[in-house]
Amino acid sequence: MLRLGPTDAPLVLIAPALFEEANRTRAFTVAIMRGLAARGVASALPDLPGTNDSLMRTEDARLEDWRAAFAACAAERRAVGFAVRGGALVDGDADLAGRCHLSPVTGAALVRDMVRARQAGARDSGERFDAAALHSPGPAVELAGNHLSRELMTALEEAQPSRADRVLRLDSEPQPADRRFAGRALWRAAEPAVDAALADAVAADLADWTRTCAA
Amino acid sequence: MIFEGTDQVRHAVRAVLADVLGLSAERADAFTDATPLFGALPELDSMAVAGVLTEIEDRLGIVIEDDEVDGDMLETFGALVEFATRKAIG
Repeated sequence: MLRLGPTDAPLVLIAPALFEEANRTRAFTVAIMRGLAARGVASALPDLPGTNDSLMRTEDARLEDWRAAFAACAAERRAVGFAVRGGALVDGDADLAGRCHLSPVTGAALVRDMVRARQAGARDSGERFDAAALHSPGPAVELAGNHLSRELMTALEEAQPSRADRVLRLDSEPQPADRRFAGRALWRAAEPAVDAALADAVAADLADWTRTCAA
Repeated sequence: MIFEGTDQVRHAVRAVLADVLGLSAERADAFTDATPLFGALPELDSMAVAGVLTEIEDRLGIVIEDDEVDGDMLETFGALVEFATRKAIG
């Protein structure tokens, strides 16, 4: 768990992006946390079970455990929720003062992207990868650098973002949003990158909105 | 969004490549239809291919089937634009 900002300030609890997108957006997410701290808003970025510093093996991760763990974090202290991408699939069971999503994505789209990366890799190496095999019982599957259980994949394919009070997106995204920002889709970037202007703009919006929710 | 012409699709594909691969605007703007992509751009590995295709799907509102993805469509910038145009406009 990473915490930034004053202890007695309003708190933003962050549901991080998932899988490879988590790696690509980690520095960007922390840049948003710094932007919040500079505006007197505290934030916390937990590690979901089976990710980052968690002692659980990634292949033992389950979607319902992620939701329960995030809800347990939210129960500790009143907070506003901020979900990045697939984080919006995880924050639904939490009791939050408000729910803000940045470019939320369906679980099916995340699975599709990982399967596609695996297939592209398989084409390069001449190996065959049959995506349909994900739906039959069996051991964990290596997808885009993560060993993931088939149960998690199946649960993700059904998973939809929770209902948000505020949705932020990039100009380049066609889906509806309460506010749009110019910037790069860092979760797709081949190399992890930070868009400082985008992080600051999101932090400013989120800080204002957090104060509205906390008031 | 309705895509009315190849120029719009070309603009979108160029922006996707710049965003996903982290190319400078100058480099992306210099792409012509003959510019080779897969195998020629070091940034475009198999993970990046997945990102490029998914981002093109999102921005153009199209669905690319796995069996449509082959080496030919990624060979040059022009081939990728031609493929995306066919999917977006028909």
